[in-house]
Order: sequence, then structure tokens, then C-alpha cells
Amino acid sequence: MSDGTIITVENLKKKYNGFMAVDDVSFAIERGEIIGLLGPNGAGKSTIISIMCCLLEPSSGRVTIDGFDIKKNAIDIKKIIGVVPQEISLYPTLTARENLTFYGRIYGLSGKGLKDRIGTLLDMVGLTDRADHKLEGYSGGMKRRINIAVALLHDPRILFLDEPSTGVDPQSRKRIYDTIENLNREGMTVLLTTHQMEDAEKLCHRIAIVDKGKLIALDTLDGLLKQVGESDIIHVAAKEIPPGSVEAIRQIDNVQKVSTDNGMMTIQLLHGRGLLAGIIDTLISSGTKVESVQIKEPDLETLFLHLTGTRLRG
Amino acid sequence: MKFHIIAEKDLKIVTRDRNAIFLMFLLPMLIISVAGLALGGEFAQDIRIDLLVVDLDNGDISREFIEFLEDIDILDVDMESNEFAARDRVKNQEYGRLVIIPRDFTGNIMIGQNSELLIVSDPTEESQNTIVEKIVEGYASRLSTNVVAVKTVATYGVPAFDDEQKFRIVEVASQFAEPQPVGVTTETTSTTLGEFSPFTQYVPGFAVMFLLFTTVQVGSVSLLKEQESGTLRRLVIAPLRRAEIIGGKVASTFFRGFIQLTVLILFGKFAFDLNLGSDMIAMVVLISAITLAATGLGMLVAVLVTTKDQADSVSSLLVLTMSAIGGSWWPLFIEPQFMQDLAHLTITAWAMDGFYDLLYFDLGMGGILKEVGVLLSMAIVFFGVAISRFRFE
Repeated sequence: MSDGTIITVENLKKKYNGFMAVDDVSFAIERGEIIGLLGPNGAGKSTIISIMCCLLEPSSGRVTIDGFDIKKNAIDIKKIIGVVPQEISLYPTLTARENLTFYGRIYGLSGKGLKDRIGTLLDMVGLTDRADHKLEGYSGGMKRRINIAVALLHDPRILFLDEPSTGVDPQSRKRIYDTIENLNREGMTVLLTTHQMEDAEKLCHRIAIVDKGKLIALDTLDGLLKQVGESDIIHVAAKEIPPGSVEAIRQIDNVQKVSTDNGMMTIQLLHGRGLLAGIIDTLISSGTKVESVQIKEPDLETLFLHLTGTRLRG
Repeated sequence: MKFHIIAEKDLKIVTRDRNAIFLMFLLPMLIISVAGLALGGEFAQDIRIDLLVVDLDNGDISREFIEFLEDIDILDVDMESNEFAARDRVKNQEYGRLVIIPRDFTGNIMIGQNSELLIVSDPTEESQNTIVEKIVEGYASRLSTNVVAVKTVATYGVPAFDDEQKFRIVEVASQFAEPQPVGVTTETTSTTLGEFSPFTQYVPGFAVMFLLFTTVQVGSVSLLKEQESGTLRRLVIAPLRRAEIIGGKVASTFFRGFIQLTVLILFGKFAFDLNLGSDMIAMVVLISAITLAATGLGMLVAVLVTTKDQADSVSSLLVLTMSAIGGSWWPLFIEPQFMQDLAHLTITAWAMDGFYDLLYFDLGMGGILKEVGVLLSMAIVFFGVAISRFRFE
């Protein structure tokens, strides 16, 4: 997988009107890796990607992409990166082929080379038969696949994807995963942002967890889950959660963290299954009107709760 | 430079949009036709400009000049023999303006001497005065040619046979031509005036109004749509200079507006026999200047609002206000003076002045320099502010 660093981020900061959107973030990405930036909305993931794409200027810090500095070599960097924005950045009254032709020309492609490349990409995203239909008639997932194809027109070395599977049907999501994995197998480095656990767990070699502008963890999925240890998570949905019930749960042995949010209590604890009956008894006796209880094995959400004390939500 | 790729894409999108084509061409053609036919003759009756003339010369040329003035439909010419009495009548606002033909006017022109036609006017009737000034300047310009010729011949003698002599004659003639011997600054002459038909008002009036809808409203909304949909962000991420992105957007809006205004003016000519004047280059320059200023205003609106819905409503308000006070719906000179002054803060008023100069007075390029200058200045200010505040992120 690794034959040298392709992206370095050193002490990156971005401040908007006094708000620190990115706070002293440093990491490196190896050539051929798929890295996921995982965090809730507003965590600073998109800002980090926007800086790496030369769309935003950092307040301080240094970023290099394949040896090029983002402050000095923006045009060189733009030629070797492909970017899939979160929104569908396409023209709905043009056909898929016309959209691809337009962006291809913007990247300097023309003639037979452009035509062949468009044909290859339409095949890759499975939309050859719809190529000459206007995008306004496409489903959300189909548009998102064309959105990805546009970013690949100039055969970039590095692909940035901002929330690639947001709002897509399962079939399109699988097609998107397959496309990303195939590209990576051919040597492309991929950096994606997501707040969907599934994206990070299925695709990424390493996962960077971002919260409130800070990078709070970066490791493989296994490495990250080891940080949680043997903890389980119990989610309790309730009509009413009296303040006293939170305190009562905290008093139970092996309970590590308790938080409530909008009718949902989240309990992090060791040996959750064994303690489940006692937890429910305590809740009911403290006046909580329990509607449902769910127990989860350690996963990225458990990890996020463990690291930040809050749930990872969309 | 890749700005043309962005412009071509925008134009392709427009050609796919049947509503846009209807709004750009068919609706204005329909409104021009209905307004022009329904209100035929209204403005011909409204446009009456009183003019008092004092002929202190009583020579052949002064008589020809007076006949020329009397032949113009919109002028009500009256004669007054006493210069002081005439000045009093203007001072007392009995007449709006007075032309004094000086003594020995004919004689001076015949022998190649400079002369001065004097216009005394009531400053409260600015637009009518401007029309009279342009008419007089046009005639004076033609007379100036005679004076220059007489002076040249007197100085150099004729005939000239070799190239060197011809060159010297031209050189001598050009010395006499500046400043103009009959006290004028206009560069071209207006020797014949066509009929001021309702279409002289409505064709440019509605054409400019719908041009503003295309450039200010559709132009600003198109820019904001590009921002809101993220396609602008995608262009910024591509290896393009920001000037190329702005250039592409401006070029497509300008081209669309230029074609629209040209087609609507030509529609006036072919459907309603609108006289376009004799200087087609001046017409192209005027259309370009109007379209450029309007394109700049569209871009300014796009940077001053935050959503395309805001751009839509702000643009509609702007275009309708400019059209009402700027002379799209009725001639400027029937508005009170303060409204006329206010109107000249708008693109519409300067555009209409330019069109009157070409369509009615046939003043050519020299007659529209001021209007083109103001429109280009507006364009520079609009683009300057818009580009400095443009949000790429």
C-alpha cells in the first residue's frame, strides 16, 4: 500500500470571524491509501478538504500535495487532484455526456481523447445507456455517480470525496464503494470525509476522527477500536428522562459514561449484556418511561463517544 | 484562456430553455407590436418643441437654415425680429429656447470666416434644449464643411495635380477644421430627420427593458445559481484562473444580451420600418456599451445579495424602476425636470438618449460619444465593485 508520503498537513489552522474551524491539525497520508475523515457535521472536515483543494487559504500551517505547496503551486495541485463535492455540482439541463464534455474541456482534454475518456468513465459508473439523457431526469444516486465521474476525467493521482454516499440509495452506494475501491487498486490515493460509519468502516485503510476542528485520533479501524477496550453502548429511548435517573445509572458498577440527548440516553459500560436487566430496573424505578433499549458492540460510534463524550450524528 | 468554454456552456443552457427564449425575444416583440400599434401617434403629438428664431442676417444661408428648422415635425418655429424682445420672451418662459443667427452669417460663410450660432434656452427644459442643440449643431457642422473648403481653396489654390500638393491641401484643410468654424463641437451632421413614430420610442424602450431583464435578472440569478449548486466551486477547484471564470460568465451574459438587443432592434426595422440611421458601426458600439453596462449591473446585484431568490426580486424591482423613470415606457422629455435628472442615474436613460441620437437624429458616432462614455463608465464602476466583492468560496 505504501510507497511514500503523498500528502502532509502540518499545524493547519483556519479561523473564520473568531471561530476556529480547524485547530492545529497535523497528519500525513501515504501514496495509495484510502483515508477517512470522520466526524459530525461542522467538525471541520470539509474545511480541511477545501484547504487541501486550494479552495480556501489556511490561516496558518503548511500543506503539501505530492511535493507541491498549496500556497505556491495551486495550479499544479489542481491538475493532479480530483474533487467530488458534497453537493451535485452539475448542470441539470445538460446531458451526462455534455456535463462530462464541459468539465473535460476545462481540464484541457479534447477530441478523441476526451470522447474515449468519457466513454470509459460512463462505463465505470454504469450509466452508458443514460449518457444522452438530461441530468434533471436522473435519480439522486445516478447524479452522484456522474458527480464522481467528473472528478476522474483528468485521471487524477489523488481523489477527494466530500460525503460521497450522503442521500443515495443502497444500489448507488454499493456502486460508489466499488468505484472507489477499484480506483484505489489502480494506485489512486483517496481522502474522503464522512459522518457515516459505514463509509469509514468499509472503505478506509485508516480513519482520522475530527471533532470541533481538532484531529483527536488517527489509526486503522482495529487500532481505533482497541482504544475503546471492552466497552459496550446501550441506547435507551424514553418518553421522559428525569435528572435523577442519569445519576442513578452512574452509580452502577462498570458504567463509564452517561449522556442524554432529546429523549435518548446513551450509556457506555463494561459487560453491558450482563448488566442490562439491572440498568432497566434502575431506569424504571427512577421514573424513566422506557420505550426501547438497544445494546451495541464496540464500533466507531462507541469510539467517538469514548473520545468526545458525545454521539456521532448526521 | 478557457473562458469561452464556460461561455459556450452557458449559451447552450440558454438555448435549451424555451422560457428564456420566449422572454428574451418573443415577449418583447409582442409587447413592442401591441404598444406601438395601439398607441400609434401618441408621442408624435406629445413631442412639440417651441423654438424662437432671430434672423439678424437675412441672407440665403440663414433662410435655408430656417426652412430646415421649419421642416422638422417636432419643432414649432416662430420668428422674432428683435433680439432683446426675443431674449425677454425666453426669460419670461413664453418660449423654451431661442436661436440667434448673427449678422453677416451668410457673408461670413461664403468668404470662409468663422461664425457663431447662439442658442439661448430656459434651463428647466433640458431635454428639449438638448434636442434643439443637436439639430443646430448638425446643421452648423454641415456649414462648417463649406467654410473649411472656402478657407482651404483661398489659402492654397486649386487645382492640385500631384500627391504632394494633395497632401498639403489636406493638411491645410485640417488646420481650418479644428475648431469648427461655425461654433460647433458635433462631429457629424444631421441633415434629415425621420418621423418620430411610436416605434422610435417603443422598439428601443422595450428592447432595453428586456435586455435588462436578461442581463441583470437572469445574469445575476445564473451567477448565484452557479454558486448555490456548487458548480462555481467545482470551477474554482479546476486549474483555471479566477479571471477566466468571471470572464466566461460575463462573456456569456454579454453575448446573450448583445444578440437579444440586436435582434429586437432589427425586428423594429423589418416589422415596423424603424429608421436605424446611417451609421451601423455607431449602432453596434451603442448596443455593446448598453449591454456591457447592464451585464456589469447584473454582476453587481449578484454580489450584493446572498440568494438567487433575492437576486430575482431585487433585479425585477431595479429593472422596472429603471424602465419607468429611464424612458422605456414613455419619452424622457415628457417627464418633469427632476425626474429627468434622476433618470440619468440609470442605464435606461443613457441608452434611450443614444438610441434617439441614432434612430431619430441620425447623429452617427459623434452624436453618441457622451452616452457611450457614460455607459462604459457605469460598466467600469459596476464591474470594479462586483469583482472586488465576488465570493468564490
